[in-house]
Amino acid sequence: MQPALTVPITENTDENKLVRRRKRFPLSFILGGIAILAAVIYLISANTQANAVYYMTVNELRSCTTCTAQSVRVAGTVQAGSVVRDDQKQLITFAIADGGGQALPVTYTGVVPDIFRPGIQVVVEGHYSGHGPFQAQTLLAKCPSKFQSATPTP
Amino acid sequence: MHFSDLGIIALMLGLGFAIFTGVVAVIGAVRSKPLLVSSAQRGVLVVAFFLILASLSLVASFLTHDFGVSYVAQHSNLAMPWYFTTAAFYGGQEGSLLYWALMLSVFSAIFALTARRAPAALVPYIYATLMGIQTFLLIVLSTVSNPFVRLPVAPADGNGLNPLLMDPGMLVHPPMLLMGYMSFSLPFAFAVAAMITGKLDSDWLRSIRRWTLASWTIQTLGLILGMWWAYHVLGWGGYWGWDPVENAALLPWLTATAFLHSTMVQERRGMLKVWNLVLVVTSFVLSIFGTFEVRSGIISSVHSFAYSDIGSYFLAFLVLIIVFSTALFIFRLPKLRPEQEFDSVISREGIFLLNNLLLVGIAFATLWGTIFPLISEAVGKQTMTVGPPFYNAVNGPLFVLLILAMGLGPLLAWRRTSTRALWRNLGVPAIAAAACAAILPLAGIRDIWANVGFAVCSFTAGAILYELWRGMRVRHSHGESYPVALYMLINRYRQRYGGYLVHLGLVLLAVGVIGSHFFQVQQDATLKSGQAMNIAGYRLLYFGNYEETYPGTDTVKSIMQIYQDGQLKGYIYPGRTFYQNFGNQPASLISISTFGLTDVYVFLADWNGSSQATIRVFINPLTSLVWYGGVLMLIGGVICWWPARRKQSVVDSVSPVAALATPAAKRGQTVSKVQDQSNGKTGVPAKRRKAVTAASPASSPSPGSSRPSSAGRVSNGHDDEEVVV
Repeated sequence: MQPALTVPITENTDENKLVRRRKRFPLSFILGGIAILAAVIYLISANTQANAVYYMTVNELRSCTTCTAQSVRVAGTVQAGSVVRDDQKQLITFAIADGGGQALPVTYTGVVPDIFRPGIQVVVEGHYSGHGPFQAQTLLAKCPSKFQSATPTP
Repeated sequence: MHFSDLGIIALMLGLGFAIFTGVVAVIGAVRSKPLLVSSAQRGVLVVAFFLILASLSLVASFLTHDFGVSYVAQHSNLAMPWYFTTAAFYGGQEGSLLYWALMLSVFSAIFALTARRAPAALVPYIYATLMGIQTFLLIVLSTVSNPFVRLPVAPADGNGLNPLLMDPGMLVHPPMLLMGYMSFSLPFAFAVAAMITGKLDSDWLRSIRRWTLASWTIQTLGLILGMWWAYHVLGWGGYWGWDPVENAALLPWLTATAFLHSTMVQERRGMLKVWNLVLVVTSFVLSIFGTFEVRSGIISSVHSFAYSDIGSYFLAFLVLIIVFSTALFIFRLPKLRPEQEFDSVISREGIFLLNNLLLVGIAFATLWGTIFPLISEAVGKQTMTVGPPFYNAVNGPLFVLLILAMGLGPLLAWRRTSTRALWRNLGVPAIAAAACAAILPLAGIRDIWANVGFAVCSFTAGAILYELWRGMRVRHSHGESYPVALYMLINRYRQRYGGYLVHLGLVLLAVGVIGSHFFQVQQDATLKSGQAMNIAGYRLLYFGNYEETYPGTDTVKSIMQIYQDGQLKGYIYPGRTFYQNFGNQPASLISISTFGLTDVYVFLADWNGSSQATIRVFINPLTSLVWYGGVLMLIGGVICWWPARRKQSVVDSVSPVAALATPAAKRGQTVSKVQDQSNGKTGVPAKRRKAVTAASPASSPSPGSSRPSSAGRVSNGHDDEEVVV
């Protein structure tokens, strides 16, 4: 068992400020707390760096020069008449755009979300080589939540 | 006159009474006018009455298909069965807010009716806080988000409810989650009242903990129903996707869990008072933040919400709460001295602190990930997001540590634990963990992180089960049969054994999560009639598709046989239903067959005519444990919460009557009535109490810790000296 060492009051916790005179946190508590906090902060910072991906609109992607090297997420609205499905290969191609800008062609292989159709907002994640279609690894449709119906008010 | 007119009138009157009640309660408290306080009590009931009336008006508008009401036209149609029509009440933003206000008023009324049991000095301030929140909701409801707004021309039929929501889960999940959010108002009101009056004694602690336990249990139910719903409806083979909306619901749950643990330290040792207040306030702030976040559209989620002005209202309210609570803290800080000091890390309070740090760490990481798009935009001018891998990598290890702490907790005594006692208590759990760590790799499970997770889970399960077993054995030696002993243990020491059940449930849930995270198998196949696919020992033989047509919907289903190890187990029918009112939006009919603890999850991705189907199959090992564990957590939560019989409440009310008496003397009639009652409650013969305390000198000085009991060693049920020393 560690001896319950006491240390002079430190300023960094609320508890200590309160009870300047009598309250002392044993050193072991402070060291343990710092160890846990350091571990949490390390986990967060390391994994943020490892997992963060750019999230942008179609127009931002076009003007981005550093985006070809990494995975990015792009949000946009599926353009009417652009959806082509190849059932044999489960391949789907479509175009997304935001605001009136130029549309971005997207190819995607895999299961398409239930609510996918022209006019809805989607988020695609994948690689963009700067030319040709965007190669999406994931396709997320913004799903209508409990709070709003999918179709606009009549 | 329409029902909606009645609704608007009820909302207005409710708003008026909420403001009135809040003001009267404060004046009654400040001027010590008991009559005003009891007038406020009736005011709370009146507000509840008007909100029930408003809600019934909306339900009546739905059931009479009054499409002149914009909200009704948007969220229901003539084809919907009556139960979905009723549930559409909370299917949209305006209605869900009304539902929230309704639940707040009902909970406030329950509090008002049981206010005799709460510390009297706090009651008026609790009324005032609750009515302040209610006033905010009613202002929003009667202005920007009014569910009773009428259309100039009523359409012939309504829009209908979104197909994804036309699921039995829809009937229970949103109301539970919203009720969970709302119910954090009560602990918050207790915290505010305590900060204003400076009365943070153990009566206060007992009341606030019971309300928090209720909130916690409701929120747990809401979360588990949400997971269940996602698993059975969304078709991606999982139950938790770390979406901002899910995170928003998890955040207050985490801080409330931390609070429920650290209050025990305050109860036992009189420490962590400030920290506990911070946790309560944080839980409430996070639940408002969750509502703000999902309604304002500041964070991109796969859930899209109506980006209405309501977000700015909630932001303003959020800022108000934070400023108000912080000011109260600063005002009250000098009084919040800890009564004792920490002794040793290797003690019960040490492990509670660890638990708190971990839970708050998890909450912080989750919040960080959720608002990372905002942070990165503010810092680097470029929006970035983090996805599930981030949360898994950060929160996974933290949860494993948390589960380890859950196992260690019961082995440690308050204040300090001798190393020898610790080693002795570690025996059984350590053997369980070692056995798990040795056997699983031999059984072919090679993933190191999964094995670590499983070993930690078996350690904790071993520790808890061994505790239960020891308690039962002691009672058994006093002549009770084992089942009776188990029942008596749980019945007598609900807090403690209810807590163990919650922990056991969480361990089961964790095993389920580890199993389905690390060992999920996924395979896609396009099959023609007569073809089969094999996956992980299962075989799916495809026959063909058939269609069913009902008014408003078309359904396609595939017919398949499922075999396990060559044996026919039955037929499955994965399919899609198309809702004509929603531009033929499909909703999946997912087939989930459970074999033991393994789910075979079949999703119909595509089909061609009547003889070809593309399916996506997931094999989800141990997923059933997620649901079993969830149910066990709920049972444990209810046991913890369940009111103790009068006689037992003697022991729980740690506070001596004196604590109540001082302010009571100043406060007039109402208070003295309450005091009489609690006098009756705490009427343990003083001699007996003293004797018991003397009998367990090692236990903490709070008299509540030692409980007279007939069953010898178990008598220290609340306290663990007998286990450790």
